[in-house]
Amino acid sequence: MRAELVLLGKRIDMAPRVRRRVLVVLIYATIAALMIAMWFLDHWRSTGTWVMWAAFFACYMFLGGMNSYGGLVRPFHNKRPRTYDGPEPFLLLKLRTYLPIPGENSDYLNDERELNQRGYAHYKAYQIIGLAVVAIWSVALFRMHNPEWFRWIPMSPDTLYYGLLLITIVLFLTLPQVILLWTEPDMEPAMELAEER
Amino acid sequence: MYTQYNVMVKNGNPGTGESGLYNRIAVLRAERGASRQDLADAVGVNYQTIGFLERGDYGPSLKLAFSIASYFGLPIEAIFSTEPFRPLSEQVYGTTQQKEKA
Repeated sequence: MRAELVLLGKRIDMAPRVRRRVLVVLIYATIAALMIAMWFLDHWRSTGTWVMWAAFFACYMFLGGMNSYGGLVRPFHNKRPRTYDGPEPFLLLKLRTYLPIPGENSDYLNDERELNQRGYAHYKAYQIIGLAVVAIWSVALFRMHNPEWFRWIPMSPDTLYYGLLLITIVLFLTLPQVILLWTEPDMEPAMELAEER
Repeated sequence: MYTQYNVMVKNGNPGTGESGLYNRIAVLRAERGASRQDLADAVGVNYQTIGFLERGDYGPSLKLAFSIASYFGLPIEAIFSTEPFRPLSEQVYGTTQQKEKA
């Protein structure tokens, strides 16, 4: 995990655990607010996918991990970015994704401790996402047998299932990184930030 | 050069943390004037992992422990132990005094 977040050119020291926890709370609060707003807008009919894009954006900018070289957590796939050694193409519309030239391996690759932590975080996330799936199954089961219990909910059953699945997908995209950020103890500050202190 | 060994300065001898292992990495690194990054580059891990090792929050794999021992040119039991270490000065000078007395 990286100890600093580079955001719009500004370096933010994220070595203290409390800062990482505040970031996690802010991200989930934002996604929850977005979900509520989108429900009022059109009951997630067309805006539901925006919530998923918001989760992708959070991974790309802040959390890292899932198919992302940015953010705090190093990529889970543990591979260096692909490079392109050939000349620049003339086409302005490029069909490839260009990534920055990789620096040291430590910028992208997890070491043995981080791999252990990654495994633990995915195990915990697997349990929580499993519970979310069981919750959806329970709602479906109870609705089949006792539909009158759900009359007070101001949305159709399809919308309810859609919303619950949306939450599960957001958890799937973000939870392993969030567990890592939440549980990792205070770290050593990044080299340059430590020298500034 | 980045030579921060505040753990040793604060505690003298770091505890076992979560790993259950005592180690002398911070002392040996400070003796040699090596930064965490130097050691991390030499043994192929992230510098944060060296910090966790020094604090005893992480127990290294056998491969990493041997790499660290090789970097310092010491036997592995001189760096890691399940028992608390005696201070190096006490080990060196205490033994000398005992020899002189003998």
